[in-house]
Amino acid sequence: MINTKTALTALWFTLTCFVIFACFILKNQVHNLEHELAKINQNIASDVQNIHVLKAEWGVLNSPERLKKLASEHMSLNKIRAEQIINYSALPFENESSAIAFASNEGRDLKKMVKTER
Amino acid sequence: MLPLGLSKKNNSFYDMDQTRFSRLETPLFEESNNLTALQICRNRMGIAIFAFLIIYVFISVRIIMVCLPHGIKITFPEEAYAVHASSIKSTISRADIVDRNGSILATSLPTVNLYANPKKIQNPKDAAEKLSFIFPDLNYDDIYAKLTKKKSVFSMIKHDLSPAQQAEVNALGIPALEFQTSEKRVYLHNNLFAHVLGYTNIDNVGQAGIEKSMHQRLTESSKPLELTIDMGIQDTVREELLKAVEKYKAIGAAAILMDVNTGEIISLVSLPDYNPNIKIPLDDKKLFNFITQAAYEPGSVFKTFNTALGLESGKVKITDKFDATKPIVIQKRTIRDDHAKNAWLSVSEILTYSSNIGSVKIAEKVGKEGQINFLKNLGFLEKVANFEISERARPLFQNEKNWAPITVATVSYGHGISVSPLHIITAFSALVNGGIYHTPTLIKSDTPKVSRRVLSEHTSEQMRVMLRDVVLYGTGRKAEVPGYEVGGKTGTANKATNGSYAQSRVTNSFISTFPTSNPKYALLVVIDEPQGIKETWNLRTAGMNVVPTSGKIIASVAPQLGLKANFDINTQKAHIKAIQ
Repeated sequence: MINTKTALTALWFTLTCFVIFACFILKNQVHNLEHELAKINQNIASDVQNIHVLKAEWGVLNSPERLKKLASEHMSLNKIRAEQIINYSALPFENESSAIAFASNEGRDLKKMVKTER
Repeated sequence: MLPLGLSKKNNSFYDMDQTRFSRLETPLFEESNNLTALQICRNRMGIAIFAFLIIYVFISVRIIMVCLPHGIKITFPEEAYAVHASSIKSTISRADIVDRNGSILATSLPTVNLYANPKKIQNPKDAAEKLSFIFPDLNYDDIYAKLTKKKSVFSMIKHDLSPAQQAEVNALGIPALEFQTSEKRVYLHNNLFAHVLGYTNIDNVGQAGIEKSMHQRLTESSKPLELTIDMGIQDTVREELLKAVEKYKAIGAAAILMDVNTGEIISLVSLPDYNPNIKIPLDDKKLFNFITQAAYEPGSVFKTFNTALGLESGKVKITDKFDATKPIVIQKRTIRDDHAKNAWLSVSEILTYSSNIGSVKIAEKVGKEGQINFLKNLGFLEKVANFEISERARPLFQNEKNWAPITVATVSYGHGISVSPLHIITAFSALVNGGIYHTPTLIKSDTPKVSRRVLSEHTSEQMRVMLRDVVLYGTGRKAEVPGYEVGGKTGTANKATNGSYAQSRVTNSFISTFPTSNPKYALLVVIDEPQGIKETWNLRTAGMNVVPTSGKIIASVAPQLGLKANFDINTQKAHIKAIQ
């Protein structure tokens, strides 16, 4: 009887010690993780700020004034004029109708259609 | 080796104990007098055990509490995430402003401010000397005064240090100097959006434009504020206006481009403008936003609204003709035509040839009440409501009692009433878009702003045809851009100085829409005090300066807006042949 009692007490004592130790280890680990998290958060915050500054820089680099200057220096492009945009049907495809006629059995009808559409 | 008392053979440890207890207990039980003493003893032992138990429980709980990371507080994942998210929030507190395509127009950059704690300063002379060396723009005496400020623990020395300057100040190693993180508003495109965005003061509080009116929104949410302005188009418009100001030696110019079907403003330029990154005095004329703040007599541009008034009232039909052969006299004042045709003119011709006499006759036919109500309906008699730039002009006009026959007459051709360009373009959009008045806006939003019908669709359609005629045959010919069916109306208004009109000082306007068959955009260009040049035969009328400028703007802006040019097929073919 006494033996069991003592053994139980010893078991409880060991368990308590174990739990206390485990808690201590856990706390330590959580503490380390929190420290790591704070560090990561700090890095993220600084990255967010850097991205913000880089975005502003990108905005400056994309300013129409600068792009205009670069385009005139490196490309032979001009402003588009209204008359440069034309309808497809105004384009002079010389062989278009004969090609269609050749490909189709109903060549004549198609030819007519193409003509009327123009 | 087994510990003492645990050997199987010799368990005398327990035996010895038992005998000790039996020796103790036997005499006690034998003497009945000591019975109560024994009970007291037991009770005391019980209390002691109980007390120790409580102490041990308390210690155990305390040990567990100490060992747990946050005591016994349990953090749920969502809560933990919220804490995490808040810890990585950007340090920038004022939201960006972006254009309709998401390009950044205004942003805030992190900076540091330098301040001193005068109570901690040991050698102010030395510190002031070193600081004035680092900041050449600061005066030694000023710094010294700031460092020796009595009864103060905070004395701002300089805002917005560069990283290099911060490093230099740090290297001085003066403990009284401290840094404060801050932010500085930066306008990436300098002058380009000056009159749209406005500017902020040193404490990042909006002082003009969008910065002022949307201050609360910009500080409450970090989400970028999206405008309806298009950066590319804004740049094109400004470029053309700058060229016009230089060419015609004008004192200023302004332009506004509006989507007629939504009221969204695509471009708003007012010249002269300023660089909002640089502090400028408040009385500088460059701060004046001509589009919203100017109340000016629009001149013949107003005939557009007069014609619409006539047609909408039903008292004038498009087939009617009016006698414009001789000047008319009202209240001893003679009204003449600038481009006199000396003939009977149709409603369309009155607009095409910009006849004052004809316009007066239309207005007279409708009458005072009709005119006032129509102008009120088009928003001309009050500030433009709910617009996002708070610096807006109040229109100037005679009050209803003094609205005499001469007022009816002069208002018909845009004199005797002063309105802002914003008024004109908003009303004009309603005139051409089928008759719906849309509140103008600079902020892109999914929910449309308030709109109301002010004109019948039929009148709007008639107006479009007549406006097209002005560009094809009338005063607006130089604004014609092949393919884009421009329609519009010119206006040359003499400036009123000291109670009379100065002949040499004019404000020219051209209001236009394109394409007239299905209007998408409206453009108002104003040139302030253009001079006659050789190219214009020294003339300074609207047709000579503001009209060609508008034409150029439309020609370069329309393809950017994604408008398809509407050409006659034969013209296109001829064009292709010419290229070949």
